[in-house]
Amino acid sequence: MSESQPILSVRNVSKAFGAVQALNKVSFDVHPGQVVALAGDNGAGKSTIIKAISGVFRHDSGDILFAGQPINFRTPHEARDAGIETIYQDLALADNLSIGENIFLGREPKRRLFGFLPVLDRKAMAEAGKGAMASLDFHVTRLDAPAGAFSGGQRQAIAIGRAIYWNARLVIMDEPTAALGVPEQRRVKALIKNLRGQGKGIIFISHNLRDIFEVSDEIVVFRRGENAGVRRPSEVSQEDIVMLMVGG
Amino acid sequence: MERRTALKLMGASAAMAGVGLMPGRANAADKVTIALIPGLTADGFYVTMHKGAEAAAKAVGAELIYQGAAEWNVSLQVPILDAIIAKKPSAILIAPTDKTQLIAPLKKAFDAGITVVCVDTFIGNGVFQTGSGDADFPISYVASDNLLGGRIAARALAKAIGEKGKVYVSNVKPGVSTTDQREEGFKDEMKKYPNITVLETQFNDDDANKAAAQLQAVYGRVPDLAGVFGANLFSAGGTANGVKQAGLTGKVKLAGFDAPESIVAQLKDGTFELTVAQHPAEIGYFGYISAYAHVTGNPVPTSIGTGFSVMTKDNIDDPNVSKYLYKSS
Amino acid sequence: MTITATTPSRSLPHPVILWIAQLRAWVFLIMLVVFFETWARLAYGSSFIFNIYNLQSIGVFAAAPLMLALGETFVIISAGIDLSLGFIMGLSSVIAAHASNYLALRYGVPPFVAMLLAISAGALVAVIPGLVNGWLIAFLDVPPFIGTLGMYGVARGAAYLFAGGMTVAVNNEWFSAIGNDRVYGVPILVIIAAIICLILHYLLSQTHFGQHTYAFGASRVAARRAGINVKRLLVKIYLLSGVMAGLAGALYTGRFSAGAAQAGEALQLDSVAAVVIGGASLFGGSGTIWGTIAGALVIAVIQYGLVFINVEPFWQFIAVGAVIIISVLVDQKQRGLTGGREVE
Repeated sequence: MSESQPILSVRNVSKAFGAVQALNKVSFDVHPGQVVALAGDNGAGKSTIIKAISGVFRHDSGDILFAGQPINFRTPHEARDAGIETIYQDLALADNLSIGENIFLGREPKRRLFGFLPVLDRKAMAEAGKGAMASLDFHVTRLDAPAGAFSGGQRQAIAIGRAIYWNARLVIMDEPTAALGVPEQRRVKALIKNLRGQGKGIIFISHNLRDIFEVSDEIVVFRRGENAGVRRPSEVSQEDIVMLMVGG
Repeated sequence: MERRTALKLMGASAAMAGVGLMPGRANAADKVTIALIPGLTADGFYVTMHKGAEAAAKAVGAELIYQGAAEWNVSLQVPILDAIIAKKPSAILIAPTDKTQLIAPLKKAFDAGITVVCVDTFIGNGVFQTGSGDADFPISYVASDNLLGGRIAARALAKAIGEKGKVYVSNVKPGVSTTDQREEGFKDEMKKYPNITVLETQFNDDDANKAAAQLQAVYGRVPDLAGVFGANLFSAGGTANGVKQAGLTGKVKLAGFDAPESIVAQLKDGTFELTVAQHPAEIGYFGYISAYAHVTGNPVPTSIGTGFSVMTKDNIDDPNVSKYLYKSS
Repeated sequence: MTITATTPSRSLPHPVILWIAQLRAWVFLIMLVVFFETWARLAYGSSFIFNIYNLQSIGVFAAAPLMLALGETFVIISAGIDLSLGFIMGLSSVIAAHASNYLALRYGVPPFVAMLLAISAGALVAVIPGLVNGWLIAFLDVPPFIGTLGMYGVARGAAYLFAGGMTVAVNNEWFSAIGNDRVYGVPILVIIAAIICLILHYLLSQTHFGQHTYAFGASRVAARRAGINVKRLLVKIYLLSGVMAGLAGALYTGRFSAGAAQAGEALQLDSVAAVVIGGASLFGGSGTIWGTIAGALVIAVIQYGLVFINVEPFWQFIAVGAVIIISVLVDQKQRGLTGGREVE
């Protein structure tokens, strides 16, 4: 697959909930190693398209192509298994479990003690955790520390590390910097750049225009369920984006 | 061996004679209905009491309603009492689950013109119709004399242990009139035996597991423990298990109270040295008759004490003794 | 820009200290034993703990509450609670008694076989309330407190109904032997409890079931997102606690040669207390089998010890209550240290 082929292609996707047209012929692409930000007011359709991509529900019409293939996910787990990882604001981490255990949650590896007794392979989990974190420049000293003991930015790293470990090719992040202090926000932005460097496709939703301009390659602006425009941050100003969002 | 409070029973019998146990005497149009509310239904003692009341009802040709809760609990008994009051029986026989909390609810029955008789347990102090006190309105208290029961247990146990040694009482929880009185009677009678020491009472909350552990703990510090008085079924049963597990059967003698059918095997294999059986059928019978007598305009003694039978492995096969075993249904 | 963050924001103490903090219930237990030992020696010149007889008595005393507490451990880790265990135990006790009698009387089954079948019957009948609890909580989204409270009432009624108002006497020397005899001085009840402890420790610490129970207790969302079948997990958890209570009930019948509806009534609250003293949080996500064992022993030692040294029995209630409060306070403090991790 060449670099120029998009990892995700959204083509004329529409979705209605009863009388409400949440998405109306939305199109955009995400390439490997590209960060695409979704901007827009509340209710503009950003969350809806994310959920359609990640298998929460089916879109009504149009195509969503992942790695060239139309998607047909019945559950979010199928999307995850195909390589699309969605990280919601709550991060969905088990705070009482270690990094490794969180990465492997639901699919913990096992080994045989004394040759016959199946036990959880905690060593393998810890090693994997260490490796995944290291690839994000996050060097863990206490592998047994529970996820709850880490800061907000570090926990984002754990959630991302989980995505990386399972070879997600598209990482979707919903408001990754919300509720974080400035130093932590910087860490998260560095994480996103790191992911890009690893060749992943990244979509993130944010209300923070500063973050969007700092990190993204492209901004897709949503307005009332439609793609109001795609811009490069290097070519426009923040006011331009705001104007697109509110329709002026 | 039987003991009777002969005088009291004779008094009761005289009253009965006055009434005349004549069926059909009451006007068919206003058949007398008397309700019996036990302390709890899930208990052979009250099952047997119920049978006694049924026999009395049949004898005088009147009706019996029987309603109760499965557990000994004020908040379960009071709603049942209220429901019965609404049915307006002529009289209510009740084993109150608390001597203070049932005063007000029963007063309601009295104010509605319903005769109240206490069976087994009492409200207030159990002394009625004195003209004073707020728990004075029941016309009679029919029960085993639990103080006497405790004394009988003490005498029998003392004899079994050779009138010397250390004993203690395994009880349920303080505040239940019947078991309190048994303990009181026991301790009082034991004062007559200078060579017997009564240790601290152990409360087990009606849990056999606790009663067993308590026996073992006491024995752990009192290696010359001679006997235990279990004031009710689970106290005695649990203590018996503790004795058995410690291998002390026969060495530590157990006096129980009450006589469910399972007691037969336990007497025979030595788990229990003796048990003091009440006569709940008589309580039910005389309770019912007193209520009926009062309702039909006859005087009734204010307290009737029924007797006990001490059961041991030597006499349990005698039908005159085994007839006092509590029925399970 | 790299984000080299080398330590968690709250620094963790050394693993050994962590380990001791997690096992603080055992520290408690040791302190209690030392207390009673000292008192016993000073007041009676005899030993409290170096005394086979006391050890046996405490072991048997703690066996049934411990079994209930073991089941309750999984439930509490999952951020739930099971209030029905006491009367599931009673129901099973009664059914086991009836089973033993029925088999012996109707079919003349030899006592040994009757005993095995009766114990199985007791454990099996507990499957019903366990499954219903699980179904209510997993499929109908009923909060565990409410669901198991309802089942408490149902089991209680059923137990008394089947008992017909009395304890159900049993006459089976093998059944009685299981509940009362010893092997090389160790009561069989204690051996059974110990085996169950090992099995449940394995379940909790080395299987997906245990791991997912922890995860669910910390975050339902995380568990679901990770693809864990949360409904099946919950049903399994309440089924396990029910069966533990059922087993305890059957063994009670053997020990006292009678099935009793109220067999487990006094044990319900103690079982939750044991789990909490052992270090679990009622909010879920933490707790261990070793902790629960220590918690159950703490309660048993207090109750037995106070009788042994002849202290007014009402101090027992105060003592157990105080231990619970202290446990929770220490637990809060410790959560600050370890960041909330206390897993098997």
